[in-house]
Amino acid sequence: MTGADGPRVAARGKAAVVVWLAAVAAALVVAWRAHYIADLSAFLPSAPTPEQAVLLDQLKNGTTSRLVLIGIEGAPPGSDDEGAAAARAQASSRLAAALRASREFAAVHNGETAAWADAGKFVFEHRYQLSPAVDAARFSVAGLRDAIDTTISLLGTPAGSLLKPILFRDPTGETLRIAEALTPARAPRVDHGVWVSRSAPRAVLVATTVADGADLDGQQRALAAVDAASAQTLTPGLRVVVSGAARFAVESRAHIKAEVERLAILGSIVIVALLWLAFATLRALAVALLPVATGVVAGIAAVSLGFGHVHGMTLGFGTTLIGEAVDYAIYYLIQSRAAGPEHWRHESWPTVRLGLFTSLIGFAALVFTGFPGLAQLGVFSIAGLVAAAATTRFVFPTLVPEGAPGAGFRVRLAGAMRALAGALPRWRVGVALLALASLVAVAVSPSPWRGELAALSPVTPAELARDAALRADVGAADAGTLVAVAAADEQGALAAAEAIDARLDALVEQRVIVGYDSPARLLPPTATQERRRAALPDEKTLRERLAEATADGPIPVARLEPFVADVAAARTQSPVTAAALAGTPLAGAVDALLLRGDAARPWRALVNLQSAEGQTIDAARVRAAIADVAGARVIAIKAELDAIYARFLREAQWQAALGASAVALLLAWQLRSPRRLFDVAVPIAAATLVVLAALTLAGAALGILHLVGLLLTVAIGSNYALFFDHLRERGDADADTLASLLLANLTTVASFGLLASSHIPVLHAIGIVVAPGTLLCLIFSAAWLGVARGRTEARIAA
Amino acid sequence: MPRADRRRALAAGLAALAFGCTIALAPHAAAAASAFDLEALTALLAKVRSGEATFVETRRIEMLDRTLTSSGRLAFKAPDVFVRETLKPRREKLAVDGNTLTMSIGERSRTLQLDASPEAAVIVEAIRGTLTGNRAALERVFETRVGGDASAWTLELVPRDLRLRGQVASVRVAGRESTVREVRVLLADGDHSVMTIEPVAAGRGAP
Repeated sequence: MTGADGPRVAARGKAAVVVWLAAVAAALVVAWRAHYIADLSAFLPSAPTPEQAVLLDQLKNGTTSRLVLIGIEGAPPGSDDEGAAAARAQASSRLAAALRASREFAAVHNGETAAWADAGKFVFEHRYQLSPAVDAARFSVAGLRDAIDTTISLLGTPAGSLLKPILFRDPTGETLRIAEALTPARAPRVDHGVWVSRSAPRAVLVATTVADGADLDGQQRALAAVDAASAQTLTPGLRVVVSGAARFAVESRAHIKAEVERLAILGSIVIVALLWLAFATLRALAVALLPVATGVVAGIAAVSLGFGHVHGMTLGFGTTLIGEAVDYAIYYLIQSRAAGPEHWRHESWPTVRLGLFTSLIGFAALVFTGFPGLAQLGVFSIAGLVAAAATTRFVFPTLVPEGAPGAGFRVRLAGAMRALAGALPRWRVGVALLALASLVAVAVSPSPWRGELAALSPVTPAELARDAALRADVGAADAGTLVAVAAADEQGALAAAEAIDARLDALVEQRVIVGYDSPARLLPPTATQERRRAALPDEKTLRERLAEATADGPIPVARLEPFVADVAAARTQSPVTAAALAGTPLAGAVDALLLRGDAARPWRALVNLQSAEGQTIDAARVRAAIADVAGARVIAIKAELDAIYARFLREAQWQAALGASAVALLLAWQLRSPRRLFDVAVPIAAATLVVLAALTLAGAALGILHLVGLLLTVAIGSNYALFFDHLRERGDADADTLASLLLANLTTVASFGLLASSHIPVLHAIGIVVAPGTLLCLIFSAAWLGVARGRTEARIAA
Repeated sequence: MPRADRRRALAAGLAALAFGCTIALAPHAAAAASAFDLEALTALLAKVRSGEATFVETRRIEMLDRTLTSSGRLAFKAPDVFVRETLKPRREKLAVDGNTLTMSIGERSRTLQLDASPEAAVIVEAIRGTLTGNRAALERVFETRVGGDASAWTLELVPRDLRLRGQVASVRVAGRESTVREVRVLLADGDHSVMTIEPVAAGRGAP
C-alpha cells in the first residue's frame, strides 16, 4: 500500500460502508413489508401441463381443500352401547345445527334427511327439467303406464312412504329418479338417523368451509367454530376428532411457525456458542454476526421481491445460511488479525470466493427444481451468501481492519485440528477403500430413489391415518379418479359433462364403476332442459294418454289432475340456471364440479368416479369409454401426482448432475491441474458416496430433497477440500487457519444438523444429508490432502 | 343326487355342530331346552343353510282403491345372501349380498349399501335374518317376541330405533319348524303387506 493509495482506499472503504448501510436499510424495509405465508402449496410442484394445473388447483383451492371431517367418539358415563350410540347421534344433530348457524360453513352433512328438505323441494318443483327419464317416450301411453307401475311397485314398502305424499302430482316418479341419481352408491352407514362409522363407535359429519382452501385464516376460523360448537353441544364423555385438508393446512402453518422459531433460537445459540469458542469477546461476536445478519435480511428481501411472499420454511432454512455466512467472518477476523486485511485479501479471499461460487452453483440448482418452496430456498441462499460475502470483503477492511481481538479456545481448536490433520493422512487408503465399499453398496442395493410427493408434506403418519379412517367412514376416498373436460363456456362444459355421463352409464352397467357425480345431473345443459320441456304433451293429449294408461290400474285417472296441472305448468317453466340453484345445498355440489372460466382459462366440468368398496378404478377402460368426447381426460389423482413427482425427480437428477459438473469445471478452471482437481474431487466424492450408502443401507426412501442435499454437500464440502489443497500448495498451515477451518465446519455441520432435527420433512431431508456429508468432507479432505505432521508442528510451534 | 345329499347333510351336520358348541358355551343352556324362544327358533332356522321358495304378496295401500298382488321367487344362502325376484305383474329384482343391495327394474339397476339406508335394512334383515336364523342380526335391529312352538311359531319384530318405527311399525313372521311361511309388514302409516311363502323342495337341507 503506497502513500498515495492510502486516502483513496480509505475513501473507497467509506463509500462501501455507506452503500452497505443503504442496501441493508432498503432490504430491511422490503423484509419488514414482506408477506409471510406458511401454507402447504410450497410442497406441491408447479404444474407443467394444463391437466395437472387443474389437478393441483383442485388440491389447493378445490372442494377437497375445504373439507372438514368431524368424528364424535366416546360414551356418556355409565351408558351401554345402545345408549352411547344414541348420545353420539344426538350430539351429531346438535353439532350440525350449531355449525350451520356459525356461518363458517357452506354445507354441513351428518346424514340427517331434514337437511335435504330444501334441496328436495327444489328438485320436486323442477323435476321435469332435471329428471333424466323425461322424453317423448316417457309420456306415451306405454311409457306412462310403465312409469306409473314402477312407482306403484314401491308403494307399501318403506321407500313408498316418501312417494305417497306426492303420488298424485308425480305418479311417474321423476323426483325419485333424480334422487336416485344424486344418492351416492357408497354412502356412510346410518344409525339413529345420522352417519356413523362402520369400523368404530363414532358418529361422523362432513362440513365444507366457506373459506377457500388458500384462505388459511378463514379455515382457522372455521376450525375454531368447530371447537366452540363442540364445547357447547357435547355432553360429558363425548369428544370430537377433526381432520381434513383445512386442519392439515392450519396445523402445518402453526407447526412451521413453531419450527422456524425453534430453529432460529437454537441456531443463534449454537452460533453464538461457537463464536464464543473462537473469540471469547463480545465485540468480535457482534462483528462476526454482521455478515450473517446482512445475508438474512438480503435473502428475505430477494425472496419477497422475486416471489411476492416469503414462506416460513425459507426462514427455517435460513439457519443454514448463518452456518455458512459466519465462516466468512471467521476466516477474516482470525486471519487479518495476524497480518492485516491485505494479507487476508491475497491469501484467503480467493479461496473463500471460490468456495462461495461452488455454493452458489449448488443453490442455483434449487431455483430450478420446479417446487416453489425449494426455489425460494435457492434464491434466499444465493442472495444471502452474496450479501454476506460482500459485507466481509468490502465492509470489514474498513470497519475492523485489525480483525478481532481475543483468542478464545482457538489454540485448543487448532491443536485438535492439528492432531486430526496429522493423524488422518495415515488413513488415506482407508478413505479410498471406504468410498469403493460405499460405491459397491449403493450399486448392489435396490434403488433408494422411491420417495413420494406425500413425503414432502409435514402431515404426520398418525394424522394421515386418522384422516384415512374418517374418510373411509364417509365414503370419500381422497385419491380417486375423475374425468375433466374443458369448454369455452358454461353450457359447453355442461354439455360435455352430459356426454361423458352417457358413456359412464355403460360403465356402471358393466360394474367398472359403481357411480359418478356429475354437474350435468344437478344442472343439465339448457338445451337438454328445453328438449325435455318440448317432450311434455299438452294438457288435452296428456289427459287422453293418461286415461288409456291407467285403465284397469289401481289409480283412477281422475285423481291425477294435480299431475296434469303440474305438467302444464312445467311447459312454461324457464330452464334451471346456476343462479336458480343459489342458496340450495345443490349449489355447493355444482360449484365443486363446475369450475368457472374466465379470459385466462376455460370453463371446466369435473366428473367424480366412484369405485366399489376396496376396489380401484380401471382408468384405461374409462379412458377408452370416453375417448370420443372431445377434450375429456381421465385423471387418476394418485397416479398423476406420482407421475409429476417422478418427472421432477428425473429432472432434478439431471440438474444435480449438471450442478456437480459445473462445480467440477469451476474447480478445474481455478486449480489448473488435473492432479489437484483429482485430489480435491476424491474426498468430496467419497463423502457423498458414504452418505448415500449409509442412507441406502438404512432403508431410507430418498427423494428430490435428498438429491438437493447431496448437491449442497458437494458445493459446500468442496470448500474444505480447497482449503486443504491451498495449504498443501503453500506448504504450511498456521494455527489460526486450522482453527478457522474447524470452526467453519462445525458451524455448517451444526446448522444443517439442526435442520436434520426438524419435523418438517423438507428441512429434515436436506439436513440429514448435508450435516454428515460436510463433516465427512472435512475429515476426508484432511486424510486425502493432509499436511505432513512435521511441517504443521513446526509452524505452530513458531 | 346322492352326492349332493351327502354334502347337504354334511353342511347341516357342521351347522348343528357349531350350534352345539354355542349351546355348550351358553350359560342358559338349560333354559333353551325348556321354552321355545328366539334362541331355539333361530337354531331351528339356521339348520337350513340355503333355500328357494315362491311367494305371493298382497299389499293394501290406503291411498289406492284396490289391493295390489304380486308374485315371484325367493332364494337365500347363509350367511347373508338373499334374492327376491318379482315376476308378476312386472319383473323386478332385489338382491342382497352382505352389505350390498342391488335393485333392478327393467333395464336399470342401482346399488346401495344396506347399512346406509336403514329403512331398506329393516325389511331385508327381517326376512334374511329369519330365513338364515341369524339371531345376532335380528336382535341388533329388532325387539323380538316369539310365540307358539316349533310346530307353529310366530316371530314379532319391532324396530329398536324409534325413527325407523315411525316407518315400519312391525314385521310379523310365521312358520312351521324350519320353514318360513308368511311375512306380514305393517307400516306406520297403516299400509300393510302379507307375503305367503311356499318352499320349493330342491335346495332344502336335512330335516
